[in-house]
Amino acid sequence: MKKLLTLTAIGALLAAPSFADTLRIGAATAQTGGLAPYDAPVMEGIHIAIDEINAAGGIGGTTKIELIEKDVRSDAAQTSIAVQELVDTGVSALILPCDADPSLAAIGIVSSAEIPAISTCASSPTLPMIGGDYMFANFPGDNVQATVSAAWAQEQGHDTAYIIYSPDSQYTTMPLYFAEVFEKMGGTVLGQDTHSIGQQDFSAIATRIAALPEQPDVIMTSSYEPDFPSMLKALRSAGVTSQMIGSDGIDSPTTFSLGEAGEGVVFTTAGYAEEGSPLEAFNAKYKETTGKDSETVFNAVGYDLIKVIEAAVLAADGSTDPKALRDAIANLENVQGATSAITYKGTDGMPVRQVSLIRVKDAGREFLGSPSPDAALIPAPRMQ
Amino acid sequence: MDIFLQQTVNALALGGTYALLALGLAVVFSIMGLINFAHGELMTIAGYVLMYCGIAGVSFVVAVPLALMASVIAAVLMERIAFRPVRNGSGATMLVTSFAVAMILQVLFQNLISTRSQPVLLPAMLSDSVHIAGMVIGVNKLAAIIATVVMLVFLDWFMKHQKTGIAMRAAAEDFAVARLMGIRANTVIAGAFALSGLLAGVAAVLWVSQRASVDPLMGFMPVLKAFIAAILGGLGSLRGAVAGGFLLGFIEIYLSAFLPPEMQEFREPIGLGIVVLVLLFRPNGLIPSATLKAEKV
Repeated sequence: MKKLLTLTAIGALLAAPSFADTLRIGAATAQTGGLAPYDAPVMEGIHIAIDEINAAGGIGGTTKIELIEKDVRSDAAQTSIAVQELVDTGVSALILPCDADPSLAAIGIVSSAEIPAISTCASSPTLPMIGGDYMFANFPGDNVQATVSAAWAQEQGHDTAYIIYSPDSQYTTMPLYFAEVFEKMGGTVLGQDTHSIGQQDFSAIATRIAALPEQPDVIMTSSYEPDFPSMLKALRSAGVTSQMIGSDGIDSPTTFSLGEAGEGVVFTTAGYAEEGSPLEAFNAKYKETTGKDSETVFNAVGYDLIKVIEAAVLAADGSTDPKALRDAIANLENVQGATSAITYKGTDGMPVRQVSLIRVKDAGREFLGSPSPDAALIPAPRMQ
Repeated sequence: MDIFLQQTVNALALGGTYALLALGLAVVFSIMGLINFAHGELMTIAGYVLMYCGIAGVSFVVAVPLALMASVIAAVLMERIAFRPVRNGSGATMLVTSFAVAMILQVLFQNLISTRSQPVLLPAMLSDSVHIAGMVIGVNKLAAIIATVVMLVFLDWFMKHQKTGIAMRAAAEDFAVARLMGIRANTVIAGAFALSGLLAGVAAVLWVSQRASVDPLMGFMPVLKAFIAAILGGLGSLRGAVAGGFLLGFIEIYLSAFLPPEMQEFREPIGLGIVVLVLLFRPNGLIPSATLKAEKV
């Protein structure tokens, strides 16, 4: 009898789809240092998604997710060390920091270990280009965001623009994409200024713009805190009234608490919690789990990342083999995340996702829409 | 000409803030030979007090003195807990200690408060601007200039006419002799830290009123600028720190204002190049401390 039971059990195991017991994911993200403001909220979203999936029995009801976390302290060298350690523990997928530079520091290890790696929220379109087959991003690309905001500016009848960018990082050069699209659509770029990240004082730039013979209709920048509020306040107190356009880096509570100076600022980001939207549901879930309101869309972006991995495991018929997962991720279409539907199929690893336009109004969000950018206008990724 | 004047006002405001920061470093250095790299974290503490006051609905007029007080208390505690045990250590020991204090505080802020920057609610008035003689001057710029002048006048009076101030000057000149005259080392050093805390607090209010947010790492950049300004002015000399702060502010603003657009990317290296050039001609800084025992071989 006992023998029969054993045989039946073995038979049942063989017949069942080959779902593994656990999927081991290694996260080498920045929990301290300069990238922590982005990676820390992403990790919160990741934990919410993993707890939700595991509570329901795992991916496909069988494969539980095991997360191994390492803090890379926003440091490129530490990222490659942490990734090597994670690879040695036999993870099936890797999560890398929210910036192209530390993510790329790990690329040698990722490629030779042939394990798919997803950056939490790096948005430089050059990341998967340089990173190769195993590197994926999880955020709308800089060039796509710039196309959406340039098209919006043109639609509003703004013909002249001024850009302020920082050559210090890939992300802060987004205004160069904006200028390219804006001019392609018939607008004029009146001039440009550069600053360094962490620059406290923008009064010299503000004074120069205020003294221009013709005031620009829009000023575009992808600078974020603390630079953006300083820049905006300097411009406004110098008497510059142009429409300010920013990007996802300023999707933060500070932007909504700037009072008069912040009103009317428009920026692109990864999603908007419309009534009945998945993002609204996620935010409710976030509040329920953590007891506080979600301050940033980066929480939801973390949730998206795990949904992508879940979809990949399902698409690979429950396999946790890294190579099978990579191929599955590269062919994913319309995975419903918290912020939007996500497609990797047909891209080089920079996902097609929704870009939302938000305007600051009465210290809150006004949703301007999620226009799909004209593919012909999207600039090619620019290597620095 | 108008633009030149306007940019000069900008430079005065920025230079004034740098001067306050550099003074904070110089006060401590002149007495115990320590460059306190945790000075920036005193600013962060003052910034967080402003943030919590904003959340609690405390008026800005009350929040500012509270922030100053917090940074003074934090500075005194820092001395008592971290620096007193290594007071007789070498300069390197104290320097490393100050880095450690800075890092420990940063991680504490990240873990106990938030990794993300937190908004600070500021009175709308600070974003306004006033028109003076055809120039548009932001209220926060004006506040920076006034605060710098007030602090410098106060410091001058304190150092010349207050017992603790005079004791601090004596200790800066020759600590051993000052102690033989009956000056208590602990009082002088604690006083120097309290003063540097006050300077950090004032600088923090000015700094935060521009950026409207606080984050755990915000102290690094100002302390770096203060360090450059203090070296430029002459380490350990208070007048030098003020001169260095203003000169650095003027260099940064004028370069940003008048460098041709294609050169703007190299603004910072050019600025630091000018600093090096000044130091080539005045190796001990603009106004060197009389007692700085720099050896030359």
